[in-house]
Amino acid sequence: MILFMLITCLAETLGIYIKGQYLADPENVRPNVWVYNILLIFQAGFISAMFASLFKVHVKSGPVILIGLALLSILYITEQIEHGFFKKHAITTIVMSVLFIIYSYYYFYLLLKDERDINLAYYPGFWWVAGVLFFYFGSIITNLYYEKIRDFVASPTPYLRYIYNVLNVLLYACWSYSFILRKWPTTR
Amino acid sequence: MLVLFIYTQKMADNEIRNLIIISTFIFALAPTFVVIYIMLYNQRRKQHAREKAQMRETFEAEIVKAEQEIKEQTMQTIGADLHDNIGQLLSLTSLTLKSIEPEDSDKITPKVNSAIELISNSIQEMRLLGRLLQGEQLISQGLEAAIRHEIKWLEKSGKYKVIYLCEDELPASNPDKDLIIFRILQEILNNIIKHAMATQLAITLEHSDGIKCLCISDNGIGFDPDKPRSDQIGMGLSNIQKRASLLGGEAIIESKINKGTSITITIPYP
Repeated sequence: MILFMLITCLAETLGIYIKGQYLADPENVRPNVWVYNILLIFQAGFISAMFASLFKVHVKSGPVILIGLALLSILYITEQIEHGFFKKHAITTIVMSVLFIIYSYYYFYLLLKDERDINLAYYPGFWWVAGVLFFYFGSIITNLYYEKIRDFVASPTPYLRYIYNVLNVLLYACWSYSFILRKWPTTR
Repeated sequence: MLVLFIYTQKMADNEIRNLIIISTFIFALAPTFVVIYIMLYNQRRKQHAREKAQMRETFEAEIVKAEQEIKEQTMQTIGADLHDNIGQLLSLTSLTLKSIEPEDSDKITPKVNSAIELISNSIQEMRLLGRLLQGEQLISQGLEAAIRHEIKWLEKSGKYKVIYLCEDELPASNPDKDLIIFRILQEILNNIIKHAMATQLAITLEHSDGIKCLCISDNGIGFDPDKPRSDQIGMGLSNIQKRASLLGGEAIIESKINKGTSITITIPYP
């Protein structure tokens, strides 16, 4: 988790730096999309691994996660061949979002089926998945229309950034709360 | 022309921006509702499980109580029978034997015969008592057998004429429920013996559509169900209703002054 956060921070810093470079010299510097295309690989890997670990408590999770990862790999490679690194891997991003939304709902279903006396308000797994669900469900619209926005709208980034900022706050708030619950478990 | 183009572009930008923000907001609402719904559903499920466990505990405590009460009832009956019946027979035997005078040889034989007859009666009564003790275990052979045994004991007193109707084919038994139904029956019979001044009783045991129905009616003095009753009777009747509702059923008590009482117990079974 810490390693993934570090990678995300590095990618965001690099993204901001490249964006600055690009805005200064759009002729010779490419946009920062390729940074996020690389980050996509880590996102898919880390979140799938986390879901595998969460599912493991309830069911045998291996096949489901591996099929998901295989599907994402095929899409990623196809897009890579089709348009290369410097264009956003939009389809992979959308499919990944849908996949994580399905995983989240499946996890909630498993929690509801669980016979144990679980208080969800204090259950780390629940809040971690809630964060994922908020982020990917919320960002699916911007991901779906990314290509269209880019073509039609003169400057798409400001309000897309606001949306992503809100979703990031939600995601990291849920993850932080989940971390606190796991680190300092309560008796409630 | 350029100004118009920029203006049109800005309008399009604004429209698309609003559309995306609204769509994202709506899409973000969905997981919010899902998370809230799941938390509430889980809370309700937990509460339901707690209530179920509590009901189970109450049910088990009630079974233990019913077992205890059946034992107490049996012991009371045995005590009363030893004092009123066997005790009297043995006292009479003792008196008869004591009254034998060796000089009066003509009266020895009839007195000894009388003592032998009294002892035979005592032995017979002892046997019946023995069967009553076994009767406590009868419930394990089914409700029908236990009721039949209880009626036999009631008829022995000679005070009551009992009509018992029972269906030939009853479904597989549920010992826990049988125990409580049997205890309800004992409670009703006790009330009849103590307060009803009845001479005739009718007991029917039926089963249809997953419901067991036990109906006990008497031709006693009855009572006004709307009037507050003395503590003991009131407690007995409320106990009957409480136990029937514990089994998921109900007890309907119908009575009229001088026209007897009828109690119908309906319980989901098995």
